[in-house]
Amino acid sequence: MMWSWIPQNAAQIRQLTLESAYLGIAPALIGLLISLPLGIACSRWRWLYAPVLSATSVLYAVPSLALFIVLIPYTGLTDTTVIIALTLFSFCILVPGVVDGMRSVPDPVRQAATAMGFGTLRRLVQVELPIALPVVIAGLRVAMVSSISLASVGQLIGVSSLGYFIIDGYQRDFPTEIYVGAGLIIVLALVCDLLLVGLRRLLTPWRPRRSSEETKTVAPAPVPTPMVVAR
Amino acid sequence: MITFESVTKRYPDGTVAVDALNLDVPDGQTMVLVGPSGCGKTTTLRMINRLIEPTSGRILLDGQDIMQSNPSTLRRGIGYVIQQAGLFPHRTIEDNIGTVPLLNGWGRGKARARARELMTLVGLEEDLARRYPYQLSGGQQQRVGVARALAADPPVLLMDEPFSAVDPIVRATLQDELLRLQAELHKTVVLVTHDVEEAIKVGDQVAIFRPGGKIAQLDTPERLLAAPADGYVENFLGFDRGIRRLSFLAASGLSLDDQAVVGEDTSASMAADTARRAGDEYVLVTGPGQQPRGWATASDLETMPSGARTGQAPLEPYGHTFDVRTDSLRAALDATVLSPTGRAVGVDDGGQVVGVTSYERLRAAIHAAEQAVPVPGTPGGAPAGPGDGQVRDPAPEAAAES
Amino acid sequence: MSFFSYAWSWLKQPQQWHGPEGIPVRILEQLGYSALALLVAALIAIPLGILIGHTGRGAVAVVNVANAWRAIPTLGLLVLLTLWLGFSVLAWLVPLVVLAIPAILVNVYEGVAGVDPELRDAARGMGMTPWQQIRKVEVPVAMPLIVLGLRTGAIFVVATATIAAYIGLGGLGRYIIDGLAENNYGEVAGGALFVVLLALAVQALFVGVRRVAVPKGLRLQGRSS
Repeated sequence: MMWSWIPQNAAQIRQLTLESAYLGIAPALIGLLISLPLGIACSRWRWLYAPVLSATSVLYAVPSLALFIVLIPYTGLTDTTVIIALTLFSFCILVPGVVDGMRSVPDPVRQAATAMGFGTLRRLVQVELPIALPVVIAGLRVAMVSSISLASVGQLIGVSSLGYFIIDGYQRDFPTEIYVGAGLIIVLALVCDLLLVGLRRLLTPWRPRRSSEETKTVAPAPVPTPMVVAR
Repeated sequence: MITFESVTKRYPDGTVAVDALNLDVPDGQTMVLVGPSGCGKTTTLRMINRLIEPTSGRILLDGQDIMQSNPSTLRRGIGYVIQQAGLFPHRTIEDNIGTVPLLNGWGRGKARARARELMTLVGLEEDLARRYPYQLSGGQQQRVGVARALAADPPVLLMDEPFSAVDPIVRATLQDELLRLQAELHKTVVLVTHDVEEAIKVGDQVAIFRPGGKIAQLDTPERLLAAPADGYVENFLGFDRGIRRLSFLAASGLSLDDQAVVGEDTSASMAADTARRAGDEYVLVTGPGQQPRGWATASDLETMPSGARTGQAPLEPYGHTFDVRTDSLRAALDATVLSPTGRAVGVDDGGQVVGVTSYERLRAAIHAAEQAVPVPGTPGGAPAGPGDGQVRDPAPEAAAES
Repeated sequence: MSFFSYAWSWLKQPQQWHGPEGIPVRILEQLGYSALALLVAALIAIPLGILIGHTGRGAVAVVNVANAWRAIPTLGLLVLLTLWLGFSVLAWLVPLVVLAIPAILVNVYEGVAGVDPELRDAARGMGMTPWQQIRKVEVPVAMPLIVLGLRTGAIFVVATATIAAYIGLGGLGRYIIDGLAENNYGEVAGGALFVVLLALAVQALFVGVRRVAVPKGLRLQGRSS
């Protein structure tokens, strides 16, 4: 490990880290935005969820590299290709997350809200979404960490990110570069993960801080869970 | 206040949950809807605030058809309490309570102040205001639910099995709280329960539902117990309704015997004479302040040396007492049954002995009470409501007095 | 030209279908690598997941580790192992296995840990040894999630195998990597198309596996809820 390489290439390291951040965070957030309406609709109309889940599970099964390739004739060898593909994967992770989050709202709470005179939209915004937040954030964590990591595969089609160091290091037989590239990807992903955990703590002071809460799943299944197998 | 006009609820698969129901919920009273599972009582309740909409018929709230009002507006004027409270986990207690006022446009400060008022009203300590629901016990959560329902001061309060999810001790406490609140606020309350004891305890009017959504009998608790309309109602009321009915009859109607009551300083021979003249084996010995001390037998008194005081005789414990002004005949009967001598001691609020009952006197009092109570359904029958001197049985307290 | 026309222009060449570098061979290679990796990953992750799920110890670690695991870049792992070990079985097998483990582990753990505590209680009360509890109650009840874990693991394995072509592995990824190097988008598209088809076929396979492996009573229960 040649430590001196790092300060020598600080500028490039910074540049590519930002690229990776952009290529990882943007798809997760856009994915969240588009999964919210669909997820809310699926939680309201059960019949909708089964086909949607089948579709997302099919999409999620496609390897990232293949999906990049499929998009190339339409969006070229650009950032956009990577972002679209990763957004679709995030979407596949987040729709079940949103649905699970909405389902985690206890029925008596929903009923009480309606009975108190909350209209549907107000109830959604003031009651259901805030309660669903922890589960949705759990999904967002998975989406974001995956995106940041998968963005590096885009290097194979020439879309620059920290993956560049991995490829370059391999071609030049220079492990230091690979360590830096891979290491920074991991660090970046974990930092984002921690930030999201912090965000969740900040936004949900009302949750008990039992450790059993932490052991509950943080990984919504992007493929059909046994309860909702499409027929 | 609330009127059901031939209301029916039929579901697409053909089940009839409520069948041509006609019901009048009087102002300022507690109407309890009770019945087995699936009898339509909850459906009926939930039609009042339009959580369920009737298939046919009309429901009038204060003279207005509820279908004419905007549902959200309607609901903000009706308090709703459910079994699992349904508190918003993501809001503090005071914000939970202040939900409807906030919806109605109150400022946050005003809403929170109102919330604290209500917390005092329902018996919650103020320092719970900033806590979150998960930090409260089941009983406390239910109280918050009630406070929340009362926050906008609605004239009507709907309660759906509000106390079923807590343990019996907490349940009894909450029921007492409801009675106390009602005595203070006089809301129009409609409460659904499957527990007929609860219905009798808290209801001013009780509607017993039959499966299929029809009312078998609608009456005051006392008249239900006195004269059930048919076998179904009788069965539903349970096996000891005769004794339970006694909760509604005042102990003040008892004539008590004060002959066989002697002070402890009276000479033993005189006490023995008193007993023999009264034809009783026992005398009640009282202490300096007229409090009961115990029972002495005439035989024991006679065998004591001359000059002995009554208080020196061996005494049987006097068992449970009952308060002659506030207790019911049921408490007096209970005290009599529990007493080792088959007699119960009636005291006043200072604990001083007023007199003594016996099974004979109880029987006479019950008979007299039955003559006085109007038969339900006859024109002359005046409703027996609170304030008529009919007492409910504060059984736990009476039994605990010893 | 659309993706499909590119792919078609390459697919319709008969020579792509014959020989040691033909499509059928590549498909089999990919399936072989994937199956092997999945098997190894399963052999590690399933017992581990059952153990943690049954005893409850290490549960917090599972969830947090699984999350962190996703951060590991596929290429990074492949490339490093190749540099350390030279191109060899381990160089591609280890990354495939390592990247599939968290997916399987999390689902197996959840499946076993999520067994109704009353069910566990009943099993213990009947006098079953821990091993019997696991074998007769916990695993069968957890089966839907165990299968789901394998299915998800398969997704990762197939995807990683595709990328592993970069360090020299055979399989369908070969077409993509070689095609990119030669600027032959037809080959790239053709390879990608088959990768997609293969991935879908593997998923369909697992739907079938579920039908076979999950006890009927559980399947029916899942459908009706």
